[in-house]
Amino acid sequence: MMKRSLSVLATVGAAALLLAGCSGSSGTASDGPAEITFWHGYTEADGKVLDQIVADFNASQQKYKITTETKTWAVIDDTLLPALSSKEGPQIVAMPAERMPVYADRGAFADLSDFYASSDSNTADLVPQAVDMIKVGGTPYGVPTGFVPLAMFYNKALFASAGITEAPTTWDAWVADAKKLTVDENGDGTPEQYGVAIPDHATVANGLWPSLLLSGGGQIVDGDKAVIDSPENAKTIQYWTDAITKDKISPTGLDGIAADQLFSSGKAAMHVGGPWMASIAKDNNIDYGIAAIPAGPAEQAASAIGVAMGVTESADDAQRAGAEAFFTYFFQKDVATQWSLASGWPPLRTDIPLSDVSSNPVVAALSEIAPTGRALLPGVVNGTDVISDIDELTQKSVAGGDVTELLSTAQSKIQQAIE
Amino acid sequence: MTTHAPSAPPRRRGAYRPPAPIGGRGPLRHSPRHRLTVVAFLTPAIVILTVFVAWPMVSALRLSFTDASGFGREKFVGLENYARVFTDPDIVSAMGNTALYALLFTPIAIALALAFALLLNNPLLPLRGLFRTALFTPFIVSLAVAAFAWSYLLDPQIGLLNYWLRGLGIQLGNVLQDPTLAMPAVVLVAVWKSFGFYMVIFLAGLQDIPTSLYEAARVDGASAWQRFRSITFPMLGNTMGFVVIVALIAALQAFDQIYVMTGGGPYGTTQTIVMEIYQSGFRKLELGFASALSYVLLLITLVLSLTQFLFFSRREKDAA
Repeated sequence: MMKRSLSVLATVGAAALLLAGCSGSSGTASDGPAEITFWHGYTEADGKVLDQIVADFNASQQKYKITTETKTWAVIDDTLLPALSSKEGPQIVAMPAERMPVYADRGAFADLSDFYASSDSNTADLVPQAVDMIKVGGTPYGVPTGFVPLAMFYNKALFASAGITEAPTTWDAWVADAKKLTVDENGDGTPEQYGVAIPDHATVANGLWPSLLLSGGGQIVDGDKAVIDSPENAKTIQYWTDAITKDKISPTGLDGIAADQLFSSGKAAMHVGGPWMASIAKDNNIDYGIAAIPAGPAEQAASAIGVAMGVTESADDAQRAGAEAFFTYFFQKDVATQWSLASGWPPLRTDIPLSDVSSNPVVAALSEIAPTGRALLPGVVNGTDVISDIDELTQKSVAGGDVTELLSTAQSKIQQAIE
Repeated sequence: MTTHAPSAPPRRRGAYRPPAPIGGRGPLRHSPRHRLTVVAFLTPAIVILTVFVAWPMVSALRLSFTDASGFGREKFVGLENYARVFTDPDIVSAMGNTALYALLFTPIAIALALAFALLLNNPLLPLRGLFRTALFTPFIVSLAVAAFAWSYLLDPQIGLLNYWLRGLGIQLGNVLQDPTLAMPAVVLVAVWKSFGFYMVIFLAGLQDIPTSLYEAARVDGASAWQRFRSITFPMLGNTMGFVVIVALIAALQAFDQIYVMTGGGPYGTTQTIVMEIYQSGFRKLELGFASALSYVLLLITLVLSLTQFLFFSRREKDAA
């Protein structure tokens, strides 16, 4: 009996050990190709093309085998930390570029300086701003898979009914058109149709207000110094606060998703967004046009959205070599063109002519305005904190706060965040 | 004269035995085989609790004294993280928001639950079962799903609630983005979601009260309020204690509903401690600080729960 009881205990103990032992990583087989896992968040047609590019890469050589796992961007951000800290993480991961610096700074991604230094890496012609997004202290920790400036999407039918024939090109024209397009049919003070959807917080890739600040001649951070508290930024914030609250061209309290919905439901004539707005508009039968964000008093500029992929610290030497070989393959001119056309984003290489991507009108339109793109907070590790400070500034301003005081508060908070 | 000791009642198999006093019946002697069987049955639970509860707690305690990010090397920083918990203005503000949430949620949810429990305990009320089910149903809906649904209902542009109210000439505005209304709005949704659960617990407590007490009170001419004050409320002491502690813990751990409905906004007015833990850990990758914050929350919860436990224990003792 004693023996039987002991054997029960032994079995339970063995099961526990087995459970604990289940956490072994895939690693590299002693023979055969190095196995590499690649997480990405491309879930639509772009995901299928990316998977196809990976399959083509696998077929092109015998040394490495990449397996893709599709997850949404939010899931990647939420699961990467537990996955990597338990040594279960992917070896390649794509993520929103503005999130990469914080992971890199904490040691999650490998330094790719040597890869960029290699003349064979196909990185020499990459859009420089796209690479800047994933540098921390001048060191690159990833490669871009997408870089596109925010653009203005407009509803052609609503424009036609308001007698507007062309998209506005300056702020004053933008506000004037937006006023014409704002309709309060029953006069209750709440328009049924807005000229433009301007979210005051949690905007798409957090880039709308930084775009306006840039166009107004201001900045948020300059090197290691917060510079939000400038006269140019005060003017910009006041200009748009007045347009939203006095001219009522946009509802207040919108976030990025609500702004998307307002445009896609035909209740806003103009909206600032990324390439995905093309498919959202199409799905909602909105005849849309794409234009650059109108120019401010200083320049025509737009904060850019970026996606990047990096090699995680869980990769061994063979896996890292495989990842770099894949990046090299991905940046070949023909593959980069294929990826641009399929993803709907402008080419990542500066030497791909517009004519090569003109078959996709969205890519063509976005590529034309690509020079307006500026990397958002490049190299700023705690970008999340900076953006939430900007959100607080814009929300409070639209809610009636004093712009000068708000900028002063934002200045000290942002300075604290970047130190 | 002989004295007779009262004869012991005949012992029958299955006869009633009074419950054991607290502390057990005294040492029982079991065979080694019996002991091993007990250990074998307990081992899986102990292993699971050790791996998934005790070990993470110990690990988190260790992490709270480091600058761990989840990757790379960790540095021991002593009590730095704990000092930051009480000096970082954002965390202090989140603590204030959590306290406000708990102060609003706990009494409203409990009062509503008790009121409906008293109402639905009345055997004369028709369709009692239907009402009980209807009020309990929100509790079984996922909190995130309920939060999504309410976010859409309250949306100023496409929300049904706003649409109806506009029809009545009322402009509700963007409640979830209003710094004054956002917190009451999320509290009300949390109350709607969970008071049915507390109501069911109160109903169970109410059914444990002997009806003879009410009958005697009625004979003595006690009014409904007097019956509630002198019988129902004191007899619900244990139940009330349990509900208050559970509701308070739920309030201190508020996260998913707020995450979905407001994301902590507008500008941090609904940011709670658990939201801060999530953002510190998963957004800023400051696991050490997030662990310290978790332990501070654990201590706050423990102190509040123990205080209430002692209060209700003493009350029960006094009543006895």
